[in-house]
Amino acid sequence: MSESAVKTQQQRVNTRKILPPFVTGQEIVLIGVIVVLWVILGLTTPAFLAAGSVGPLLVQVAPIAIIGVGMTFVIITAGIDVSVGSIVMVAAVVTARSLVEFGLPFWPALLLSLLVGAALGALNGVLVAYGRVHAIIITFGTMNLFRFIGLQVFGSSTVNNMPPTFNFFGRGDAGSTLGIPHAFAIAVVITAIAWWYLRYTKGGRSLYAIGGNAHAARLAGIKVQPRILMVYALTGLLAGLAACMTLAAGTSTLDQSVGTGRELQVIAAVVIGGTSIIGGRGSVVGTLLGALLVQTVSSGVVQLGWPSQLAFFFVGLFIVIAVGTDLVRERARRRS
Amino acid sequence: MRFKRKVMGALALAATGALVLAGCTDRNDTGGGDGDTNGGGDASDVTVAFVPKLQGIPYFEAMNTGGQAAADELGFNWLYQGPTTADAAAQADIVRSFIQQGVDVLFVAPNDPDSMAPLLQEAQDAGISVATTDTDAPDSVRELFVNQAGVEGVAHALTDELMDAMGGEGKYAIVSCGETAANLNAWIAVQEEYTASDYPDAEIVDVVYAGEDQAQATAMATDLMNAHPDLTGLIGECTSSAPGVAQAVEDAGRIGEVHTVGLGTPQSMAPYLESGSSAASVIWDVEALGYLTAWAGQQLALGEEIPAEVQAGPAQEASYDADTSELLLGPPLIVTDENAGDYDY
Repeated sequence: MSESAVKTQQQRVNTRKILPPFVTGQEIVLIGVIVVLWVILGLTTPAFLAAGSVGPLLVQVAPIAIIGVGMTFVIITAGIDVSVGSIVMVAAVVTARSLVEFGLPFWPALLLSLLVGAALGALNGVLVAYGRVHAIIITFGTMNLFRFIGLQVFGSSTVNNMPPTFNFFGRGDAGSTLGIPHAFAIAVVITAIAWWYLRYTKGGRSLYAIGGNAHAARLAGIKVQPRILMVYALTGLLAGLAACMTLAAGTSTLDQSVGTGRELQVIAAVVIGGTSIIGGRGSVVGTLLGALLVQTVSSGVVQLGWPSQLAFFFVGLFIVIAVGTDLVRERARRRS
Repeated sequence: MRFKRKVMGALALAATGALVLAGCTDRNDTGGGDGDTNGGGDASDVTVAFVPKLQGIPYFEAMNTGGQAAADELGFNWLYQGPTTADAAAQADIVRSFIQQGVDVLFVAPNDPDSMAPLLQEAQDAGISVATTDTDAPDSVRELFVNQAGVEGVAHALTDELMDAMGGEGKYAIVSCGETAANLNAWIAVQEEYTASDYPDAEIVDVVYAGEDQAQATAMATDLMNAHPDLTGLIGECTSSAPGVAQAVEDAGRIGEVHTVGLGTPQSMAPYLESGSSAASVIWDVEALGYLTAWAGQQLALGEEIPAEVQAGPAQEASYDADTSELLLGPPLIVTDENAGDYDY
């Protein structure tokens, strides 16, 4: 091989490495697995592919995928936010009570929920960005703190007789247009915007830089701390939106179990979607697919008439496979 | 940086403050009990503690209301504390703290009967009278179990109410909650038998477990309706899945085609009973259960025999079986659209 040939090949590699491919290998695998699962479910339980079954599934996916967008941002910066379940709880109970007690209409209620979520997220952001303690410790602390606040707002009782204000996000007829649930359509739009932001804007690229090496990013002139603050505030805001969808998908009674375990479902979706838990790499499209896969499995297990606890097994298996392939890729990258 | 330190300092201060305050309230609670000792040997000395599965949900708060009412009327101390999640380990910590406080009678509604058994033994060794209420720990040293409704009473009422709505025939499914909940599993076993023996044209096609999660119960009920297009009935086996299954029917726009019955508190079921997505709710008077529990605690502390027929406050139809040491509240309460408004939990 001549020297110039080596050079051009080198250049090609370099230009390719600036932006990752449009669709990563993990995403193709996920799409494949989901399609296979849907086909199997469609063949074995004839009702599955009817709109009556897929619609409610997509409604369930939406809040996880939406928080997942924020969580993907956070994990790309090498952080994590385990307080999102508690943020959902606080936003949901505050909003639910104002629906019942003040009869708040749709837009003000939605705005309230977003504000509550963003405020709690911003608190996380300030503490993580300026606290110099690992995000898991800080958000673990605020998770408990927010949960306490939520329980205080509940005041040892449930919120009863909620009006159907958020039907627009719900499972019923008012919640979809042409068979597509609004909640899921919103999740797709948010994912698309986030995908564009991460891929093509300076701000988005700098998140990867921060996650890859925060010190180097700072030296390169990236304002690390404001960026980190922003991603946690954004995650809180999205959790506030997800809280409204959770209210819509629930019953007319809200109990204090709302949001419990949500953080783990979201992190599972992000990890299965191929985002590296050590930061610096990740995709929001993968997260959406991850959320879709997790929900398909838990729904599918019930529809096939299998014992419902098998859902845990499959989700666990997917996480192990996803993290395993991530580690293998990471080693391969180091070697090359 | 200075800003950072200030924030952290303020947080640390707040956290310490909260801990100190929490410590104080705990001490005051027991202090009240100890302070009364100069009265000597009478009832006002007695401290009865109750550890629910979960604190802060309407069901156990209503039990607490009943228990407190009994304590006020009959003159003894009533303590109520539970974990904030239905977690066996967190519950065990609270039981241990009551053992250390040396209460006279300890009632537990165990999240996990098997892991609670050795703790109850520990409590008994410390000279505490131990008993269960709401949920039994059958293989333990408990001296008494206050049962809200007989297994058959609940299981038959659930089945009969659903069959009434379904016209005595068709396929139905059960959305249960915790997989290890002994009372739910006992009811389901009887429901399966009773359906097979008394309603030959009806069939239970599936039993699924949603945990104590309303949204999950709703999602599973939706899945069940889709997996079995000819499904005409759903049972929500606990207070979180009862409104969950009704909501699923409402969302699917199938009120009148798919009937639901559940074990839900009157307030949470009221909108569904009104819309017709739920035919009836089978429950019991939870405040009366709390009252009966507290009353029985006082009897245990004073060493009194419990008679076969018991009338205690709102619990007028209770009965005691000395062989199994079970105190039964009475027949279940059927809540429909008409009487749902009579209860404030």
